[in-house]
Amino acid sequence: MSDYAIEALDLVKKFPRRAPAEQTPAPKNPLARLFHRPPPGEFTAVDHVSFQIHRGEIFGLLGPNGAGKSTTIRMLCTLLEPTSGTARINGYDVVREANRVRQSLGIVLAGERSIYWKLTGRENLEYFAALYHIPPEVARRRIDELLDYMELTSRANELVEKYSTGMRQRIVLSRALLARPPIILLDEPTLGLDPQAARRIREMVLDLKRQGHTILLTTHYMEEADQLSDRIGIIDQGKIIALDTPSALKQRIRQQDVIKMEVAGWKPEMAEAIQSLSGVSQMVSRYLEQDGIWEIHLQTGNSRAILPRLIEHVNTNGTHLVNLNIVVPTLEDVFIHLTGKALRD
Amino acid sequence: METTLSSGTHLTSLSRTTGLAQLRAFGAIIWREYLHFVRYPTWVIAFIIWPILFPATYIFSSFALAGPSGVGVTRFLEVAGTDNFLGYIVVGTSVWMWANTLLWNVGFALRGEQMRGTLESNWMTPTSRFLFLLGSGPVHAVSMLMFFLFTVVEFRIFFHLTFNANLFSLLAVFLAALPALYGLGFTFASLVITAREANAFVFLVRGIVMIFCGITYPLAVMPPWMQAVAEWLPPTLIIRAARLAALNHASLEVIAPDLVRLLAYGAFWLALGYLTFSQIERRARLKGALNQY
Ligand SMILES: Nc1ncnc2c1ncn2[C@@H]1O[C@H](COP(=O)(O)OP(=O)(O)OP(=O)(O)O)[C@@H](O)[C@H]1O
Ligand SMILES: [Mg+2]
Repeated sequence: MSDYAIEALDLVKKFPRRAPAEQTPAPKNPLARLFHRPPPGEFTAVDHVSFQIHRGEIFGLLGPNGAGKSTTIRMLCTLLEPTSGTARINGYDVVREANRVRQSLGIVLAGERSIYWKLTGRENLEYFAALYHIPPEVARRRIDELLDYMELTSRANELVEKYSTGMRQRIVLSRALLARPPIILLDEPTLGLDPQAARRIREMVLDLKRQGHTILLTTHYMEEADQLSDRIGIIDQGKIIALDTPSALKQRIRQQDVIKMEVAGWKPEMAEAIQSLSGVSQMVSRYLEQDGIWEIHLQTGNSRAILPRLIEHVNTNGTHLVNLNIVVPTLEDVFIHLTGKALRD
Repeated sequence: METTLSSGTHLTSLSRTTGLAQLRAFGAIIWREYLHFVRYPTWVIAFIIWPILFPATYIFSSFALAGPSGVGVTRFLEVAGTDNFLGYIVVGTSVWMWANTLLWNVGFALRGEQMRGTLESNWMTPTSRFLFLLGSGPVHAVSMLMFFLFTVVEFRIFFHLTFNANLFSLLAVFLAALPALYGLGFTFASLVITAREANAFVFLVRGIVMIFCGITYPLAVMPPWMQAVAEWLPPTLIIRAARLAALNHASLEVIAPDLVRLLAYGAFWLALGYLTFSQIERRARLKGALNQY
């Protein structure tokens, strides 16, 4: 048995880049279109990613849209072959020992369409138990146990299309747990769920850790990563740019003050003026649609020194400050500190 | 949460890959296909309306051509070797439907899963990926037997059509057709999940094949070069042999030459289909074509 549950070494995934449609129109003739190839080019979705996850650990992969989280997961679960680099799951190589890897893993990919809506919850689990090569008697007991655990027993014989999104996600999670795999990969497990359903999934993740499972989870919710993960890898544009425990990551900007302002009538030109104030190290802005105001995040070495000038700058030409707080740094601020941009926009 | 899941400190997977387990997975795939089949109500239309609707246009135009006193039928008898033109058309169209249904259910099995969003959840299990293709056919091949039953009954009632069938020969035709149809299906299935444009191409092929293989007319009415092409198309042989078995009570010896050729084509297409699938499956893993529609 390997020391690590999951080991990624210099993983790289390049995809053929498709040229924008208007540049190279596909031929009209269907036969010609079949053999038509867009001009070659490559796009690096995952760029030399390495990490090691201990047994029994929850590891969070945090990053914005398009960072390469799902691509990393797909390589680990044998759906994609790495362009270069290697990965081991439970000690098995993801390319050469793909079947062992599949036996060791339970996987939740993003999206609720990964189960059959025209089958009942129980039928879905029976079907996948057979695909996972679980002996029938074992499977039967396991399915009852899982349905019970997920509080789905009373609805188990209804078609999945009648379920709520949260119930579907619990079936998807049950499927991942069918083989009682030592390692579980969760790609955005709470995406699209209402807050209550999301909280329930998060509780289950913690419970699974207590039962001894190793969990790799991706998310772009920093609260989720913070709350669940023992360690976090921050990924941006295919690269891991920081990897540590949540508190250690936040320690990195301990010397920084984080100022959060709400501003009405903000003009993008003002950004330059504020960024050039001495002492401002990072600034990101985002428009809050429902309130019609702008939220401005600033990081600075010394908030006391810049506050007067900052307020003066903001309260000009019909722009005015609605609210200002000096806040405790979150993982999002760590991300802003590292990349100069917001995790979500 | 009151219930907790049973587990020890050292978790070992319950997954045990054996030949028997693969076989059970294969059974589960067929079972899933069956459940989908019965839960989409379109099968009612497929069974009750299509048998009569699909051949209807051909039948009425053939009535027109035959003339009120049936003088046109002599010419038909000359080229087709039977004066039962109604039976000729019905067997042609329903066998074509059978072959088509099987071929396209296999051919679009992966594409359907891909669009539904379930392809990846199937492919990340330890079940052999080829089984997903193999398992998509049987339900449809068998369900079409129901289709034939409806065809026979409906034409008995509405057109007083009678068949003179050798059921044993007919069954042999269907069995001999399976390898070729599966092989073609594997090939198409592999193409349509990676090349977006393959869809259009496949429909084009289907349209062309339909003209060549003589669904409602004897091959002899086509120019010689088309007849030569038709001989290479499995559906031509399936339809020809099925007609002899269903209308002329042909024994196995009579249709044997066509069946042997069908099996030979089958061996070729199965090999090609398997190779294409293995290639494409690898390509999809390298290029990431699986999760893109
Ligand atoms: N099969 C593919 N072919 C080509 N490009 C791809 C493919 N899959 C992903 N990409 C691209 O690779 C990049 C990384 O995608 P990925 O899905 O891994 O991001 P992510 O971190 O999961 O983002 P999200 O939060 O949106 O799910 C994106 O720019 C995406 O467009
Ligand atoms: Mg993703």
